[in-house]
Amino acid sequence: MKHPWRVLYQMAKADFLERVRRYSFLLILAGALYMAYAVITEKVVVVVGDGYRGVYNSAWIGMLMAICCSTFLSLCGFYVVKNAIERDSTTRVGRILAATPMPKVLYTVAKTVSNFAVLASMVLVLMAAALAMQWLRPEARPISLWQLWSPFLLIDLPVMFVAGSLALLFETLPVLRGGVGNVIYFFLWTFALTGGATTGMDDATGIHVLTTSTQQALARLDPGGKTKNFSLSIGPDHAWRTFLWNGVDWTPRLLAARLLWAATGLGLAVLASVFFHRFDPAREKIRDKKLKEKRNAVVDDPALAIEHPQPTPARATLTPLGARGQNRFTRLVLSELFLMIKGLHWWWYVVAAGLLIAEFASPTAQAREGVLLAAWIWPVLVWSQMGCRESRNATQSLIFSAERVVYRQLAALWTAGVLVALLTGAGTAFRLLTSLDWPQLAAWCAGALFIPSLALALGVWSGSSKLFEAIYTMWWYVGPLHQLPSLDFVGGSRASSSPGLYLTLAAALLLASCLGRRRQVAYA
Amino acid sequence: MKLTIDRVSKRYGANTLALQDFSLDLGSGILGLLGPNGAGKTTLMSILATITKPTSGTIQWNGTDLAADPNAIRSVLGYLPQDFGVYPNLNAVEFLEYLAAVKGLDSASARRRIDELLNLVNLTDVRKRPLGGYSGGMRQRIGIAQALLNDPKLLIVDEPTAGLDPEERVRFRNLLSDLSGDRIVILSTHIVSDVEATATDIALIAQGRLVAHAAPEELLRAVEGKVWEWVVPSSELNAARQQFLISNTSRRGDGVHVRLLASQPPPGTTSVAPTLEDAYLFCLSQHRAGAAA
Repeated sequence: MKHPWRVLYQMAKADFLERVRRYSFLLILAGALYMAYAVITEKVVVVVGDGYRGVYNSAWIGMLMAICCSTFLSLCGFYVVKNAIERDSTTRVGRILAATPMPKVLYTVAKTVSNFAVLASMVLVLMAAALAMQWLRPEARPISLWQLWSPFLLIDLPVMFVAGSLALLFETLPVLRGGVGNVIYFFLWTFALTGGATTGMDDATGIHVLTTSTQQALARLDPGGKTKNFSLSIGPDHAWRTFLWNGVDWTPRLLAARLLWAATGLGLAVLASVFFHRFDPAREKIRDKKLKEKRNAVVDDPALAIEHPQPTPARATLTPLGARGQNRFTRLVLSELFLMIKGLHWWWYVVAAGLLIAEFASPTAQAREGVLLAAWIWPVLVWSQMGCRESRNATQSLIFSAERVVYRQLAALWTAGVLVALLTGAGTAFRLLTSLDWPQLAAWCAGALFIPSLALALGVWSGSSKLFEAIYTMWWYVGPLHQLPSLDFVGGSRASSSPGLYLTLAAALLLASCLGRRRQVAYA
Repeated sequence: MKLTIDRVSKRYGANTLALQDFSLDLGSGILGLLGPNGAGKTTLMSILATITKPTSGTIQWNGTDLAADPNAIRSVLGYLPQDFGVYPNLNAVEFLEYLAAVKGLDSASARRRIDELLNLVNLTDVRKRPLGGYSGGMRQRIGIAQALLNDPKLLIVDEPTAGLDPEERVRFRNLLSDLSGDRIVILSTHIVSDVEATATDIALIAQGRLVAHAAPEELLRAVEGKVWEWVVPSSELNAARQQFLISNTSRRGDGVHVRLLASQPPPGTTSVAPTLEDAYLFCLSQHRAGAAA
């Protein structure tokens, strides 16, 4: 192929421009800016050792922002960019590209570069925000651009490249292409953050470079103190002492490790080309075909159905319809429920049933604090279809031209989502009911209403299942799993549960869903 | 049964006017909406199907303003969009059952109607197959079936025969003719033969404006005595193209048989009976000439 670099540049550029002009990019950008604001206003703090924080000089601010970037953006950003191939497939641009001499590896590398460019642009925004932050908060002067920005350049950019290449690799693998991949990435991300890494090649996120450096600086200042502690906290967990930290000493070994991670990203992009289907419909639909063969042993080729046409009726007539049924809403709820669970594998039901039995069988406390958590993360991919199924499958024009669609269909969909929560959490509700634990039962009810409301609102407003999958999984991990007060929507313990808050939130989200759907339907 | 479109305009952004003061009164029968690509057909269909709001103008269904009560039209509407998706994990019956529930049909009526429709669109054999495995034509037929689910009084079909094989196309035309008795059917297409076979009325649309609205016979009368056949050598074909509005060419042993539209016939031509395609091209060329002037 002639001029591969030009092709690479143009492909990455077109893809980048197409993405940054979408609302989802602005949404994440707004999130990144809020993160910067949270750092500036000390809503997000890093506490080292026994209540220490660094003096807000260039090094500390750069480190703080870079850590936030490396943790949150590597998670949210992954979900934002994990649609490069999918978009080419749905817009059918992919088939045009597939008919050109472009090698597969060039395509996957170009898409990875585009993924990286999108994430890097957010990093750039945060770099500017870091500069503004030090200017706004004159705790330590002067501003050193190297100390301020080196963590972004050497920690965050390789992380973004790896996240971008992983997003592409996931898209090329049929198993990881959908929601399963989204959930698996979350756990991979959690492991990368919390796994016992050192400052070597096992430190994917680069955070341990920063933690080690700050802990060493603190150990020199306070040799006898507890210096091993390093926590990134959200909320009121503030430091009460300061120490001076002048940044990471970037040794050749550290630089090599970061560069190796960038090279790993490139390797993943090349690996993705092995699995990339090049928009071959036969390969794109292998899974569908297998399913089809299983369900339809007799007719397994579309052509066969056309070869045996039925005789044309002498004159087409339609028998008159009866009066509209009285139980139309119930029927619609059941239809929405059926649509939600249709296509799930048998093992999904086995696990859900197992969890339900475990809820019934466990003592109340264990059911509430443990099994219910699993039971309410398991249907994440069922809930995540809510509100965005129409845009994902391009059925808006069919659905939105129906009568009273905004409130009737949306209410039916929400009810179906609540039913999923009620059914999967029924065991815990039974335990709470039999132990007459009314406050916890109220928390359970609030959770059951809150989760589908969140799914519906995010689905309607984003038009994608990914936003809910990312936010809900992260929220579940931070809130219910760690029983963090005010973030625990499940109500794992009395101290952490806030049913009133989540009932209010559920109502607000439901209202937001209605407003979002009204925006989508011309005559709402 | 009456659909009134009164001075409807639709603007996209600051510069794109997809429809301009479009007015039309429709009663039962099939209206063939013809026009070149980008003429505004799909925009008009979307507005009538309550998917898009017009920028100005009103639409009334039996005297009820669509803006005041969109459900008046939605309850009697069957709509087949030009581009639509399906839920790939559902089979034909499940998908239609779902849409029947959305449209408010009760289970028994829906089941009976779905059986009838699958038979009408020739999908009974593959009714249990997931839609994800359907070919483009089969998917289009599912679209046709869903549009007829609620026994619509207003049936709007946008490029319905796209992707259908010739046999299915004929089948669909017949189906549309059979069902048109007590309904208003709006068939938007740029395939003139589809309109020729089914339409009782034709509306020509170009650059967002209504160019003509008449019965097919009236349109044909307008070009009577203006269609000619001329046999030219292959080498002169390009020159003929420059000179005349040509509606068709076919190569034969004695040269290229050129079908052309002209008020004054060139020497050596013979008059031929006009087709709807001739009438369509003539109207468009007149409109373009008028717009240019």
